[in-house]
Amino acid sequence: MRILVVEDDTNLNRQIKDALTEAGYAVDVAFDGEEGHFLGDTEPYDAVVLDIGLPHMDGLSVLEAWRRAGRTVPVLLLTARDRWSDKVQGIDAGADDYVAKPFHMEEILARIRALVRRAAGHSSNEITAGSVRLDVKAGKVTVDGHAVKLTSHELRLLSYLMHHKGKVISRTELTEHLYDQDFDRDSNTIEVFVGRLRKKLPEECIQTVRGLGYQIIED
Amino acid sequence: MLQNVIRAFAGMTSSVRSGLRGGEPKDSMQKGSIAASLFWLSAAWLIVALLATAFLLTELYSRALDTSLSETLEFHVETLVDLTLVNKDPESEAIRLGDPRFQRTASGWYWVVRDQNGALLNFSDSVIGMVLPPLEGAFDATNTRTAVITDPFETKVRVLERAVTVDGVPLQVTVTGSLDEILELVDDFRGQTLIVLGAVAIMLAIMSGIVARLALRPIGRLEKAIERVREGESESVTGDYPREIAPLADEVNELLRSNTQIIERARNQVGNLAHGLKTPLAVLRNEASIAKGTPLARVVLSESEKMSQLVTTYLDRARIAARSAVVGKKADAIHVMLRLARVMEKLNPKITIAFVRPDASLPWFRGDEGDLEEMAGNLLDNACKWSNGKIGISMVAERGQQGSMLLIKVEDNGPGLTDEEAEKVLRRGVRLDEKTPGSGLGLDIVKELVDVYGGSLQLKRSVLGGLLAELRLPAAKLGGLGRG
Repeated sequence: MRILVVEDDTNLNRQIKDALTEAGYAVDVAFDGEEGHFLGDTEPYDAVVLDIGLPHMDGLSVLEAWRRAGRTVPVLLLTARDRWSDKVQGIDAGADDYVAKPFHMEEILARIRALVRRAAGHSSNEITAGSVRLDVKAGKVTVDGHAVKLTSHELRLLSYLMHHKGKVISRTELTEHLYDQDFDRDSNTIEVFVGRLRKKLPEECIQTVRGLGYQIIED
Repeated sequence: MLQNVIRAFAGMTSSVRSGLRGGEPKDSMQKGSIAASLFWLSAAWLIVALLATAFLLTELYSRALDTSLSETLEFHVETLVDLTLVNKDPESEAIRLGDPRFQRTASGWYWVVRDQNGALLNFSDSVIGMVLPPLEGAFDATNTRTAVITDPFETKVRVLERAVTVDGVPLQVTVTGSLDEILELVDDFRGQTLIVLGAVAIMLAIMSGIVARLALRPIGRLEKAIERVREGESESVTGDYPREIAPLADEVNELLRSNTQIIERARNQVGNLAHGLKTPLAVLRNEASIAKGTPLARVVLSESEKMSQLVTTYLDRARIAARSAVVGKKADAIHVMLRLARVMEKLNPKITIAFVRPDASLPWFRGDEGDLEEMAGNLLDNACKWSNGKIGISMVAERGQQGSMLLIKVEDNGPGLTDEEAEKVLRRGVRLDEKTPGSGLGLDIVKELVDVYGGSLQLKRSVLGGLLAELRLPAAKLGGLGRG
């Protein structure tokens, strides 16, 4: 899962990025509205954390510009203004959720988790495929009730496929969603991780669709 | 008579004044009345001017009469001298003046001819029975001396005495005329003058009263216009005013504008400061929770918590303080609730909101739209937090003791509150749930706003099983107007 954080306060930006990275997301950051708008317009993010008060172009304008261009990426608005009229304005501009400053980092994580889940059409924090069960909140994977230890990259890969189970996911899409923009992308690494995952999970869990990509079959 | 006029006028001016004040008793800051000052000033001036006029006219008239009397006496002296010349004897019985007043005793009209030693030579019939002594003092260049004396019958007379020589015989001819006759004429004249001038004075006073009333009418209109601004019926002083008052109306509007601007600026700055503090506070808090457990982190956490509470408290206060400026506003409650329901559904996709839509005749809320959003939004937010998927919203109009009220009900199917809990929650500053950060019932701002608007908030048990919040707010007088 790849997240964009647009926040002009460098410290807060770093904190959110660190927390999200630790939670297993690939994170890109932007420090002003124009940069944020450009990234969101060109990169396929799974969710965006967007501050309202930004230099060059305010958050609501960025959001409206994305929505006008047909970008449906879930957006979590960050704002210091927490009057209801502000909330209504934010939601009407196309935001999916809203967090008022000062917030607890857990709140951001929970909201992002919920947004990503909702966008993928899941209603609970647990996604299952056959005997494999993914606890999104805790970042734990079990097979037949037994815990499986995964590295963070393996978890990211599995999580993305589980969120989009039933769909064929190309290697390019995986690369785009699993790594932030500074990562040296080499689609071979995807194959390596898929290979490792297949060893830790039941063989039939991740299917290869020749020439197209990978798929977790819906049960 | 004049006093009655003044009394009538004082009544009239006081009615002008009370008319200007809209009949409302106001004791403060009143220093006299322009209408009364105008009246008293013009009345005083009128009295002085008219009395002076009356005095002057009477004086002129009396002088004219006196002069004419002197001329008459002169004529009689000449006649007597002529008669003496004709008769060649100063003592002749034939020397008589034609005027019958010289025959009537005590008429004030007398004539006497004396020799140079003062011995009587001849006199009119009217002198019989009295003594008319010669005047004292020297003769002037025309051998004449005059005086005003009182005769033995208490009549004031003017005396003209002349020394003449007739055929070489020096004589003194004295003629008198009654001054009382003149004084009577003057008195009559004075009386008539006063009556005429008094009538003029009354008319002028009435005119000045009418003028004051007309001149002050725009001030009354201005006051009404300012009152409308204060009542919130209008945002600025409107209407056409005469050139003298128009600048005042403009100044009042300018004052209102700059006042609004100053408040707006101050409020914005407080808002900016408070909101600006939120980001650094978030940073501090997050940084501290990463290093959780260290003494420094504990201090930073607890202090930043205090700071963010202060920020919230003062932002709320600033909002409430700004409330006093929202007189005359109203908001469509249906519109606001629909919008909030839409937002809540988007934020909480698992919750279904049953919105019982009232018909369009529902009165509007008498107050600021943002405040209604704030109150209803917080209630809805609570309902969402605690509900198990269902929320109900309904609205009705009610007739309360303080006039028409708007009742907004928000209910959920959550755990609800016991009576004691509900009572506790409604007390200020109490949070029922201290465990989840920021998830207190957050009713403080709702309660404060409800108080400001003179409404009420009650927490009851809902038929859905959870909490039923009943928010009663004043309804706008012109309910439903302007809704398409």
